[in-house]
Amino acid sequence: MSNRSEPIAPTEADIERLAAQLRLPIAAESRAAVAQHLGGLLAAARLVDEFVLPETVEPAPPAAS
Amino acid sequence: MSDAGTSALSIAAAVRAGKTRARDVVAGALERIAQRDATLNAFTGVLRERALSDADAIDRRLASGQDPGPLAGVPFAAKNLFDVAGLTTLAGSKINADKPVASRDATAVARLRAAGAVLVGTLNMDEYAYGFSTENTHYGPTRNPRDPSRIAGGSSGGSAAAVAGGLVPVTLGTDTNGSIRVPAALCGVFGLKPTFARVSRAGVVPLAWSFDHVGPFARDVADLAAAFDAIAGPDARDPACATRPATRCADVLERGIDGLRIAVLGGHFARLAADEALAAVAGVASALRVRREVTLPEAHRARAAAQVITACEAGAYHLDNLRSRAADFDPMTRDRLLAAALLPAAAYLGAQRFRAWFRARVAEVFGQADVLLAPTTPWTAPAIGAPWTTRVDGIEVPTRGHLGVSTQPLSFIGLPVISVPVVAPGTLPVGVQLVAAPFQEAALFRVAARLEAEGVVRAPVV
Repeated sequence: MSNRSEPIAPTEADIERLAAQLRLPIAAESRAAVAQHLGGLLAAARLVDEFVLPETVEPAPPAAS
Repeated sequence: MSDAGTSALSIAAAVRAGKTRARDVVAGALERIAQRDATLNAFTGVLRERALSDADAIDRRLASGQDPGPLAGVPFAAKNLFDVAGLTTLAGSKINADKPVASRDATAVARLRAAGAVLVGTLNMDEYAYGFSTENTHYGPTRNPRDPSRIAGGSSGGSAAAVAGGLVPVTLGTDTNGSIRVPAALCGVFGLKPTFARVSRAGVVPLAWSFDHVGPFARDVADLAAAFDAIAGPDARDPACATRPATRCADVLERGIDGLRIAVLGGHFARLAADEALAAVAGVASALRVRREVTLPEAHRARAAAQVITACEAGAYHLDNLRSRAADFDPMTRDRLLAAALLPAAAYLGAQRFRAWFRARVAEVFGQADVLLAPTTPWTAPAIGAPWTTRVDGIEVPTRGHLGVSTQPLSFIGLPVISVPVVAPGTLPVGVQLVAAPFQEAALFRVAARLEAEGVVRAPVV
């Protein structure tokens, strides 16, 4: 089980591996910056994930009209 | 003849009464753009011949006894995210400059033109609307008319600067996470982000499909209402557009605020902000004699969910170009979009589930209050090229990204918001958000009109 207090710090190798699965070439000189941004986004996702929602909650529907 | 400070409705009244020609009004706006935009860099395109031709058509309609529309002869401009027939829609990018020209106007542009307004140009922005600063690498930064060494905000920076600088009285922008409200606040003008789907997104390049909004900027409340009334309403071209008829907001400006329950948003919205931003909210609350405070539960997580959803939708939209021509993106956006494309589906769906929960909790709050007050930005306009991070309350935050700390949790669930300008002599402006339940724009206009009448909010030309 992962430790939720651990900082999220994807490595350049992580970026290379993930990008390859999406057929998304990322220049070597960009990988450190992309890793930093992905770490920020994953931290935001973790903040959302840490809040326990009732099991009945479904993904948001389109706004009411 | 109009000058830089003449309101849209004053122009239209003069044109409709035959006291001035639309051609002269439009020629005046083109002259102001020629004089000031070399400094401000608000415009990426000026439609001189087309605008004069359209103005002539307005004058001919009047001369032949036809009604030229409620905004007859009013010069306006649109963020270059909007399609304009015959022009390439840049979306702030180099990549889209290679695309063919648009075959028809975006619905919001078409509706303003149908109301008699005259399109004079297209406006600078952050690339693909993914930013809060309009420090665009391809087209240069837009400068804040109140201090040209500072950013205008973004992503609709050109739209706010053109109005604040008196180049035109009305502009169009878009807002996903704060891109109308942030530049409106930093430039000291009024900006409306309507309810999601109240104004058609047809002909507008998306950032995040599920919460992109179209709205107007203006220097007074009546102009803002007139522009909103002209563009709001159902549109078959936008599959998400609301089908219910729009409420005319120009009709409510004299109604006052009796019966409206108003409260200040505390918690998340009162943290990580500079004193002047919180003082502006306190000043507006005092003028409205509001002492009550309410909170939106887990608003900090709502902001995080908004960031995740925006990233996932934007990363998916741009994936093909990220694969084939990443080097042509603005460095200010490229690495963020590349990271966005790598997010897992579970993150997106988790954020969408949280969004449903948060929307329901906020609806409960609106059972107890009609209008909520909050800062628009946490501080005044940063310098162009400011450092990437800033310390506030002992915490290091991104200087540009943090500009959306109070706007992101609100647009994420589609609420209508007006950012009203608080402009004190010798200081940079800040904004205060007036927030209502979905489709309750009329309540916002009643409060904004009261604040304007009392001199608490105003947008003088600089």
